Amino acid sequence: MSDSTSPTAVGKNRAAKLRVGLLRLTDSAPMVTAHEFGFFADEGVEVELTVEPSWANIADKLAFDALDAAVVVPPLVFAVQLGLRGSAQPMFVPYVLSAGGNSVTLSSELAGQVRQRAEHGGLSKLEGLAACLRERPATLGVVHAFSTHNLLFRYWLAAAGIEAGRDVKLAVVPPARAVEALRDKQIAGFCAGAPWGEVARRAGVGSMIASSHEIWNSAPEKVFAVRARWAQQYPEALAGAMRALLRSSRFCDDPENAAYIAALLSRRQYLNLDPHAILATLPSATTAHTSCVFFRGATTFPWRSQGLWFLSQMRRWGLIDDSIDLRTLAERVYRPDLYRAAMAPLDEPTPVADWKIEGRHDASWSISTESTPIAMPSDRFCDGTIFDPAALPPLGESAMRILDWGGRLDPSD
Amino acid sequence: MPLKILLIDTDADRAQALEEVLCGSDYAQVLRAPEGTGRADAVDRFKPDLIIVDMALPDRDALEDIRLVSAGHPIVMFAGSNDPAFAEEAIAAGVCSYNLSGVPLQDIKPIMASAIALFRRYRQVEDELVEARAKLDERRLMERAKAILMQGRKMSEPEAYRWLQKTAMNQNRKLAQVVAMFVEQHDAPADPGGAKRKQP
Repeated sequence: MSDSTSPTAVGKNRAAKLRVGLLRLTDSAPMVTAHEFGFFADEGVEVELTVEPSWANIADKLAFDALDAAVVVPPLVFAVQLGLRGSAQPMFVPYVLSAGGNSVTLSSELAGQVRQRAEHGGLSKLEGLAACLRERPATLGVVHAFSTHNLLFRYWLAAAGIEAGRDVKLAVVPPARAVEALRDKQIAGFCAGAPWGEVARRAGVGSMIASSHEIWNSAPEKVFAVRARWAQQYPEALAGAMRALLRSSRFCDDPENAAYIAALLSRRQYLNLDPHAILATLPSATTAHTSCVFFRGATTFPWRSQGLWFLSQMRRWGLIDDSIDLRTLAERVYRPDLYRAAMAPLDEPTPVADWKIEGRHDASWSISTESTPIAMPSDRFCDGTIFDPAALPPLGESAMRILDWGGRLDPSD
Repeated sequence: MPLKILLIDTDADRAQALEEVLCGSDYAQVLRAPEGTGRADAVDRFKPDLIIVDMALPDRDALEDIRLVSAGHPIVMFAGSNDPAFAEEAIAAGVCSYNLSGVPLQDIKPIMASAIALFRRYRQVEDELVEARAKLDERRLMERAKAILMQGRKMSEPEAYRWLQKTAMNQNRKLAQVVAMFVEQHDAPADPGGAKRKQP
């Protein structure tokens, strides 16, 4: 760091302003709530939220110091870290903000065909969709190449033997444009974060046929990512911000608070969307598997194995170079050590391990901590794969590997 | 050969102004992208050397996908160049560019400098407008709050004003904030779900 101030003096500086970027998505809830309820202020951290219209803006503003942190999808954090789509900026993921909440939404017409196939042929919805796409290839939307949506959607389609490029064309469609694109038949469906599937359903143009839960049970979704330099310069402010987020995550996870949070998020300065559409995607007693999860099951803990899973999928689809050591990268970016240090004063049970085997549990289980064990939900993948981080991350089978998302993405160097 | 530039901007006036600046020489040929979702198609048809895009649009994510379209031409974001200060200025002004055909940076820099200057000027005007509107809004709310007090509590106008001022002082809040909250509480219809969309 070029800063000439002594590190201790800087480190104690809790007056640092944390500039956080977010998108118009339901899983901004813990960040918005922590800000609006003064949880950040209680920890002595000044936070400024900006709602950005695109992931590209988030990535560029992180890269060029116009933002310090963001509510963001993990693959984009790795893309910023490596400079895969623009300038590089070292990043940390010390906290996870949500799990689940994405949906696969199809045009009403295609959804009808898929359901008919599934019912008459005794197929799953995925097999029904595969049959439809083999008969008539279609264009489906994802929100960004470096998104969880792109990786999860591809994972799901591949489980039924559908190849992007052959049976289906994947195009990038920002969620705010997806309803319009679906109505104009530019796309036949899309995979996006909450509440956009619900918005399309309410507009009468689409029907949700699957959620991210059906692709990967309790799939990690948005993370709180912070520029490594900011984190190193203001470690106490970062820890305070994380404690404020933990309070907020717990609050947002309680179905009793959902109506209030929906009203808050619906404001013009945040999502500027129908609060009922937002409410349908928040934790509730009834729609457990389609809504966002914010706290339960150690959701907020930055498991390195989850980072590694995303990296392995990025490699599978040619988004990341074969020469990169994924495990080292996952360790450098995902920082459970910072999480534990931040939560230490709280008497909050925290997992003792940094890694876990992903996809091993069909039912609820529990994980050990220094005190009370934490009840964990199922973490099964749709194809039953068990992802063991101790084994080398599997390279995508060459047949499934496609290069249309560009192997080498930074031509500037 | 003139540079082919595609402008993607929601503000028609600003796009027009920038087009006029850039077309002053024979150096540039400018096309403005159509409204709506046809923007990626415009890139395909026009095959621009440079795209200049308003950062307030969600379409940037879709535009980044055009690296698929131009497989032969790697796309360089201006923000990805080796001049961070210039990129920071562009981001602050709210404009971004994509170099599609590898035109040298020194050819693009003056074009982007014009775009940055124009975007900055428009942003300033916009900020002033927002401020002016906020002031008007404050005055409207103050009038409404005084009217509520004068009708409901039979206060005179100066009494109503003093009451609001005192409340603000007691609560250690700004007067405008107290006034807005007071009017909102009074005028909001009963809505237990809190579902009414309101401007905060």
